[in-house]
Amino acid sequence: MRMPPFQLHTPTSLDEAISISDELVSENQEFDWVAGGTDLLPNYKWHLNVKPNVISLAKISELTELNETHIGAMVRLHDLVQSSVTHPVLAKAADTIASVMVRRSGTVGGNICLDTRCYWFNQTEQWRESIDWCHKCDCGTEADCRVIPNQNTLCVATYQADLAPVLMCLGAAIHLAGPNGIRSMPLSEFFQLDGMTRNVLQPGELVTHLTLPEDVAEWHGDYQKLRQRESWDFPEAGVAAVWKKNGTTKPIELKVATTGLESIPMLHTKEVDSCLNGWSGAESINELAESIRKSVKPVQNTWFSRSYRRKMVKVLTRRACAGLVEGDS
Amino acid sequence: MSKDDNEDEMVGYRQQPGKLPFAKPGSGGKDRFSRPTNQEMIPESQGGELPQPWGSHRHDNLVSGQVIGKPTALVDGRWKVTGQAQYGDDIRLPGELIGRIIRSPHHYARVLSVDFSKALELPGVVAIATGADAENKFGVLPVTKDEHAMAVEKVRHVGDLVACVAAEDEATAREAERLIEVEYEILDSIHDMRDGLQDSELPIHDRGKYHIGEANVQKRVFQEFGDVDGIEENAIASHKENWLFAGVNHAATEPHAVVANWDPSGRLTLYTPQQVPHYVHRALADVLEIPMHQINVHRTFVGGGFGGKSDPFPHEMCSAILARKSGRPVRITFDREEVYWINRGRHPSRIEMNLHADDQGRICGIETDALIDGGGFASFGHVTTYYNGVLHTAPYEIGAFHYTGARVWTNKPASGAMRGHGAVNSRCAVETGLDDLAEKLSVDPIDLRLANLLPPHSATITGFRVTSIGMRECLERVKKESGWDEKFRKMPLGKGIGIGCGFFISGSGLPIHWDPNKFPHATVHLKIDMDGGVTVHTGAADIGQGSDTVVAQSVAEVLGLPLDLIRIRSKESDTSPVDLGSYSSRVTFMNANAAISAAMQIRDELLDATVEITGAEREKLVIGDRRIFVKNDPAVGVSYLEALHKAQEDRGALVASGAYRTPPMGRTHKGAAAGLAPAYSFSAYVAEVSVDVETGQTKVEKVWAAHDCGKALNPLAVKGQIIGSCHMGMGQVLSEEMKYGRSGHLMNPDLLDYKIPSVHEMPEVFPIIVESNDPEGPFGAKEAGEGPLLPILPAVCNAVYDAVGVRTAELPITPERLFRLIERKCKAEGVDDAIKLPSPRLEYSELQAVLSKRAEEHSKRDLERRLNDNRQPYYNGALFGLEPTIPPDEVDEKWAVNVIPSEEYLSNPRLAGSAWKHTERRHRSDS
Repeated sequence: MRMPPFQLHTPTSLDEAISISDELVSENQEFDWVAGGTDLLPNYKWHLNVKPNVISLAKISELTELNETHIGAMVRLHDLVQSSVTHPVLAKAADTIASVMVRRSGTVGGNICLDTRCYWFNQTEQWRESIDWCHKCDCGTEADCRVIPNQNTLCVATYQADLAPVLMCLGAAIHLAGPNGIRSMPLSEFFQLDGMTRNVLQPGELVTHLTLPEDVAEWHGDYQKLRQRESWDFPEAGVAAVWKKNGTTKPIELKVATTGLESIPMLHTKEVDSCLNGWSGAESINELAESIRKSVKPVQNTWFSRSYRRKMVKVLTRRACAGLVEGDS
Repeated sequence: MSKDDNEDEMVGYRQQPGKLPFAKPGSGGKDRFSRPTNQEMIPESQGGELPQPWGSHRHDNLVSGQVIGKPTALVDGRWKVTGQAQYGDDIRLPGELIGRIIRSPHHYARVLSVDFSKALELPGVVAIATGADAENKFGVLPVTKDEHAMAVEKVRHVGDLVACVAAEDEATAREAERLIEVEYEILDSIHDMRDGLQDSELPIHDRGKYHIGEANVQKRVFQEFGDVDGIEENAIASHKENWLFAGVNHAATEPHAVVANWDPSGRLTLYTPQQVPHYVHRALADVLEIPMHQINVHRTFVGGGFGGKSDPFPHEMCSAILARKSGRPVRITFDREEVYWINRGRHPSRIEMNLHADDQGRICGIETDALIDGGGFASFGHVTTYYNGVLHTAPYEIGAFHYTGARVWTNKPASGAMRGHGAVNSRCAVETGLDDLAEKLSVDPIDLRLANLLPPHSATITGFRVTSIGMRECLERVKKESGWDEKFRKMPLGKGIGIGCGFFISGSGLPIHWDPNKFPHATVHLKIDMDGGVTVHTGAADIGQGSDTVVAQSVAEVLGLPLDLIRIRSKESDTSPVDLGSYSSRVTFMNANAAISAAMQIRDELLDATVEITGAEREKLVIGDRRIFVKNDPAVGVSYLEALHKAQEDRGALVASGAYRTPPMGRTHKGAAAGLAPAYSFSAYVAEVSVDVETGQTKVEKVWAAHDCGKALNPLAVKGQIIGSCHMGMGQVLSEEMKYGRSGHLMNPDLLDYKIPSVHEMPEVFPIIVESNDPEGPFGAKEAGEGPLLPILPAVCNAVYDAVGVRTAELPITPERLFRLIERKCKAEGVDDAIKLPSPRLEYSELQAVLSKRAEEHSKRDLERRLNDNRQPYYNGALFGLEPTIPPDEVDEKWAVNVIPSEEYLSNPRLAGSAWKHTERRHRSDS
């Protein structure tokens, strides 16, 4: 493995970073942002969509702020896990990411913007050459998707990051900055269903931070993750569930989101609404789990088969919601 | 012991200011005083306090109480932890070039042309080589040389070598790779091992007149021993299962790396992390067409081998070819993916296992059919094909053994030898089969095993001579320490406990390169000069298993020296006597025996010198810590250095050479040598697991791991091997798998997707060392490197059954596979939720008492046999009423050995057995 050459830019402020990106965009030069580098650099070593310029955010201290409702994009995952201000469900999800060494380097922003993954894509250049490339990194060949043959319009690579579903459930807003100014949106609107574009970020734009609503501490919940090993592995499926209760068995509010199943994480509003409408405790959760299983459409491009991942979504949903009906009989 | 300080000075030497006095030779070593002998380390037979429940040993009188049996840190450990150890890629020679290999993107193709003119024009590119530069074939086994340095005519799998390039730096070499244009004609590839049994228009290899039909069958085996025809009549319970084992890779931490250099005198030095330097040495001579003495193979530190670094490799040839062409050193280091291309991992296998028990709970038949997927090359496969059968003919006494095996070529990276070579998969099938058989007989599976063990000093049904056997003790220990009786078939759903056993060779009886001249398997040279340090020259390859430490311990023990007086030179073929290599768990047994025999010669000289100095009777002298003295009067004696200096008078350094060669043994049928070993190791593990019945996820919680290694020369290393084996075996049973996609590509050639268990998956392992004191082993030792891997797989499978009541027949048992089995079970039981499944329970039948009684009787029989030097022979078959002292085929014609299938068999063969339908070309009328 050898890192391909690139020009590294190391701005020390957000303004400087954006002006560098602005300049590169105006010169029609391609570039990537790098935060912790635990996703981008291995991909670079595999020559996956390598750019001639990389802008590092490592020296921008203004992106590292962390409190109950503000999470800077450059907050290290390990710090998120360790911090007492982190929401417990978020801390739990963060604690399942990769390994402690990766978490010490990897960042919140990097995890949110994690590139999608696929067995036919995350391979060396020689390997990909042997399958005549694929749609996500076609090396100019206009190659087909290898997961779903004979199509090269949509990339079905899988989004396998753990934080997004929890943050979506907690109602996080994501804040972006770019040459055209700053903008914000609910995190659930940040993602775009395509394994290549993945999200709404425009050229030159970056994630600066996430904010959580003021009442975040009143939400309780859980994150459940499916994977082969308890370390290193990306989620083959992940389910976050958070709720607000006021003493009765029926929650006031309930949110469920999934990851690791399609090209973006998904908030399951429709399924949850119908569950709450006909609430009957544990049985409702079973129904909710079943309806979420039906709604997700994984493809065959990770370690476990799509059918198993789907079936496990049901189990994970039930387990993530278990706290909701604990003590109920 | 105490001495006046003034006595240290030699009288007559004038002390000069600033100079130390010239001292009398002390005892040698860092500590100038000898330590008193620890009687707890001296065997009972020598009047010491070390108990010998298995009797005395021929090496007992060599025990000085120094290091044998003491937990000892590996002698090269500090080199490794301080980063001073040089592995393959750490070798840096002046003016080195970086080599890269151009590999095939196709599964199977004819190479029409290789155009490297553009690459050669690239500044910084120094040399390029192709298959045309070295057309001689090589391979680890002389009977199946089928590899070239680079493709000569065809490429046989994705990643097969086509060409190689050497450049000033890696970036240039990689750039050059892209500029090399190769024209291929793509051929129809095969990926399913079953297809390998069929005739093919273009078999992957052509073995000329020895080719088997027109198929891709590389090797086939047929063996029948015992009363095969009687199985049906005798059996009251049978087990049948069709297994599918995924291929697994060694995944050693260090990827392959090699440096080749032609020195100014025209000799080649090859620096390589090899397990088997000697066979590389031979292969290099063949491929490069230079005499062996022109080559120095320098084994670097090896960052893990496990069998994955035991073939002579094409990239080793490439570096030598490039170095010859460029006149400069060439270094090639693999990416992880390339490790998977070279592979040599465990064969993907389809094994049909049939076990039968009679009304006495005896194993009246084992019928095995093993089809193994060899990938593109032969490698060790000839042997693997035998091992899949013959290595499960013990530790049990069996009434009949029928084995058909076949190895086929497919267009995948080559399979080869991996820890537990050939024995692992079929052992898993046997041991889970026994569990099932016990279930069918309604008896305890441990008692079933205890009532069917071969006794010490017996012969297996295949004629292997088995000496020491600690199997019974292994089983008894794990049964007791795991709390088996309280747990087995008694735990709640999702919790389970299971047993598995193992049997493995302690060194293969015949060398790979069979020589008519009776070369020894291992040779050790010692050199001791006046400083007292002992230089040990050995070719044994330390691959992390601790062979340097074992040979150092053996020499230190015999000479009564601390380890810091021993220095090992095991790296270079120029200075090391030939050792056959670190495979088949042979090194401790053979090399330590050679070392002991060399050290005994030095010991004799030191004793002679002591007699000369002290006038003591030679027979009464013993060796302690750096001191030779009269046993009953320790004050009479000399220090090690005094004796040494006396022995050196008029001749200088002492030198000695010791060698080891296996004794003649075994039978004479075709294939009789495969599986022969001077001794065998035994093991029994109990695993306790938790299964998440809703997801199918299995967690191994605890493993009680008993291994009979004869004598633990270094208990620390033995425990390390046991724990490491558990980890590696757990990987194969639960998560590791070379996964091939629908297009035949290996989908996970990297360590993220090739799922080696992490520390979180690792159970608590309780290593239990059983010491059966092998009569021929060095100080009684046998192997501990591979055997300990075998039992973990079936122990986990059986524990999973105990937990959820489903039996897997496919490895690894990923959560997904187990979930599918649980789903099926739910359906069969009419249960809508897996957590409502019943937990397996067992009521004993009347047979249980029969087995317990027999186990008890056999326990006495075994004790008697192991302590009685005048014991009678014992041939497998006695349990079935045959005369124990005569080979059964000589007393009962039903027990005749048969290695050729009959017409009748061929009319309805098993899967691998169908390989015999083809006629070898030389026997065909049309050839």
